[in-house]
Amino acid sequence: MTAGDPADGAVPPRRPTMQSDNRDSKALSRREFLGRAAVLSLTATGLLEAVRLGPAAAQTTQKRELIVAQGGDISKFDPHFSTSSNDIRVSFNIFDNLTSRRPNGKLYPALATRWARTAPTTWQFTLRQGVKWHNGDPFTSADAKFSIERTYDPAAKTLVSTVFTTIDRIEAPDASTLRVYTKKPDPLLPARLGFYGGQIVPKKYLEQVGPDQFNAKPVGTGPVRFVSWTKDDKLVLEAAPDYWAGKIDVDRVTFRPVPETAPRVAALLKGEVDAITQLVPDQWDRVNQNPTTRGVGALYAGLYVLAVNSKVKPLDNPLVKQAMSLAIDRTAIVKELWRGRGIVPNGPIAKGDNHFDPSLPPLPFDPPKARARLKEAGYKNEPIYIETTVGYVANDKPMAEAIAAMWKDVGINAVVEVIEYSVRAQKNRERSFKGVFWSDPTSTLGDPDGMMWRLLGPGGPQDYWRHPEFDALGNAARFSLDEKFRGEAYQKMTRIFLEHNPWIVVIQPNEDYGLQRYVEFTPNPNQQFDIRRFNFRMRRA
Amino acid sequence: MRGFGAFLAYRLFRALIALWLVSTVVFVVMRLSGDPVPLLLPPDAPIAEMERVRHDLGLDRPLPVQYAVFLGNVLRGDFGRSIHFRQPAMEVALSYLPATLELGVVAFLIAVLIAVPIGVFSAIRRNSPLDHAAMGLALIGQSTPTFFLGILFILVLALRFDLFPTSGRGDWRYLVLPAMTLGAFAMASIARITRSAMLEVLRADFIRTARAKGLGEFVVVAKHTLKNAALPILTITGLQFGTLLGGAVVTETVFSWPGMGRLAIQSIYNRDYPVVQSTVFIAAVLFIVINLTLDILYGVLDPRTRETRP
Repeated sequence: MTAGDPADGAVPPRRPTMQSDNRDSKALSRREFLGRAAVLSLTATGLLEAVRLGPAAAQTTQKRELIVAQGGDISKFDPHFSTSSNDIRVSFNIFDNLTSRRPNGKLYPALATRWARTAPTTWQFTLRQGVKWHNGDPFTSADAKFSIERTYDPAAKTLVSTVFTTIDRIEAPDASTLRVYTKKPDPLLPARLGFYGGQIVPKKYLEQVGPDQFNAKPVGTGPVRFVSWTKDDKLVLEAAPDYWAGKIDVDRVTFRPVPETAPRVAALLKGEVDAITQLVPDQWDRVNQNPTTRGVGALYAGLYVLAVNSKVKPLDNPLVKQAMSLAIDRTAIVKELWRGRGIVPNGPIAKGDNHFDPSLPPLPFDPPKARARLKEAGYKNEPIYIETTVGYVANDKPMAEAIAAMWKDVGINAVVEVIEYSVRAQKNRERSFKGVFWSDPTSTLGDPDGMMWRLLGPGGPQDYWRHPEFDALGNAARFSLDEKFRGEAYQKMTRIFLEHNPWIVVIQPNEDYGLQRYVEFTPNPNQQFDIRRFNFRMRRA
Repeated sequence: MRGFGAFLAYRLFRALIALWLVSTVVFVVMRLSGDPVPLLLPPDAPIAEMERVRHDLGLDRPLPVQYAVFLGNVLRGDFGRSIHFRQPAMEVALSYLPATLELGVVAFLIAVLIAVPIGVFSAIRRNSPLDHAAMGLALIGQSTPTFFLGILFILVLALRFDLFPTSGRGDWRYLVLPAMTLGAFAMASIARITRSAMLEVLRADFIRTARAKGLGEFVVVAKHTLKNAALPILTITGLQFGTLLGGAVVTETVFSWPGMGRLAIQSIYNRDYPVVQSTVFIAAVLFIVINLTLDILYGVLDPRTRETRP
């Protein structure tokens, strides 16, 4: 804006938090850092603690409306034009996919009732019959074919055109059959269809009204249908009465954006909203101690990592990266910064994914060994940059400061630099990071192929490091139909990974939500926010 | 009235120049500072895909060409399509205007209606306990960060005492806390300026004369002092009003108020050039209208200023 009130001109971070944007890039000692973290949490938590609430309310409800407060508003309805988590929380409820990944991590039938591989490169889907779009039109295989083809149709100009690159062509021999031919065997196609890009849109309606009108008044097959949207204020949806999986347990669902953490928690504690997303670790106890509310969480289907630009010296030396990994006290980070709402990972595969190896120990913290590795590497005190954002992933800046202090302790010349979100996006595109940077790889398929290989593979967005054996294994695993072979490949890849650390894996955090006690909701690890019968119910009076 | 017509025409001409300059600066700065495309696409999108989207949005053309297209479109009233919302940008920005005006005007009214009487009384009862209390409060009001005050209001008045809703927009009850938060700073500075302007005039010879000829204290204060102290008060009030309309980002964020300040900041983060242009344009128009109104009011209040204007 043209003028800023001195008291009101501070710019909140993209996902605003209560942290001060201190641009001091000098590393803090561990104690100073913990002290500062305590002071900061006083501002929000302390104030919340200071305010006591009234007596417990009944733990049942008369409500027929679910009000959800999330950290930001949606930007658009057309599911093929966004992959942001605020948008997909809504679009996954207006629309259905052919398959559905439930909170237990398994794939279930959705608009497809059955699927099977009829040839190495052919998947055949049997579609659900009798499903109606919100405008009354019947759902057929033509919609499914149109929808998937639309994602990579150059004329449609979607933003999810990279999701289905393994598909060669699609046939719809009759109204309830869909045959998908892939270029090579693709064992993960049903999983790909369950995540973003896979939302099925109505062919007839979309062609009739055009993409703009469709985006303004979306029509899906999902459990809720569109009523109204006032940007940054409220989005109103109503339960589809004849949803194929049964009408959901409320009549109305309202999404409200409440960007700041403290007001979002306050709205929950006071009972103005029924559920909040992005419950921060600081507030977990507060919400659980309050008699009318509680927190629920799921281990995030992904990891928070410091991705490494391994082309920059001295990060091209695996020994230096091993030292960096060994010097991080991850247990302290989980305990102090995350209040225990997360776990220490054991490698590049998230717990809960296919081929996660439970026999591997958590990543070790061993400062003497780290010092020895640095010596062996001939490290000459070159600066190692951590380019951190503020609020791109939760706790990114505090974690960067803590890690820099831990690195200093073993003799690494760590330098923290704060960059803006869009600068990070640009550097990501140009691959011009100066050292390490935060990334929150999401496991889109519940499989290492959709996470480590998608991001670190040749030509992937984090292609900073190549290793012939790692590459050969990753490629073979992508197109293999033999799960035993794939498992062994990922085991070998993990060994190579832990030697070279193209990511310095830091934590697998929890995705936490705050709920009124009368709301029964099971969150999905992949940030998908399903409001469906299998995971959502209101406890009635 | 021909003088006034010329004055108005001159001011409008200057306003147009200002609008053009503001738009140009924003155009250049936004395009030099980042690229919206990586923010739109999933992180694994290949370079070719980035280039395709850049081409679709016209961002691959040379900057002067983009600028010429932009100016041509603006002259036809077309501010482009929002990259983030996929809707006409001006339409998006204008849909935030009612909420902005509602909050800004109410905050402004609260500020003025409380601050001016306090400032006047502080000046009359200078160095009294009332004066000290009021100015102490004003100092606190001016130095408390908005986000702190807002969250304090939410936790105490909304959560603890259950007087108002915590956040969002609805009936008048939703307006109270954000308006008080937003108005606090303006209130404090208007009160302080009012007090010092009043003190300045109270020291003047003609006030002593007025008292000497036996006028009542009310007439001295209301008619002689306040009217002569009005110019600085009007100036600060006008400036504060503009700021309340344009700079309420933090208040809007804390209270989830769907206002234009928040839209502008989010659009900057998203590198949504057309929406940034539209919000800046609206804010600039508001400022220009406020300044113009002030200039006219100056003339009404103080005839001397009329001659000095072109």
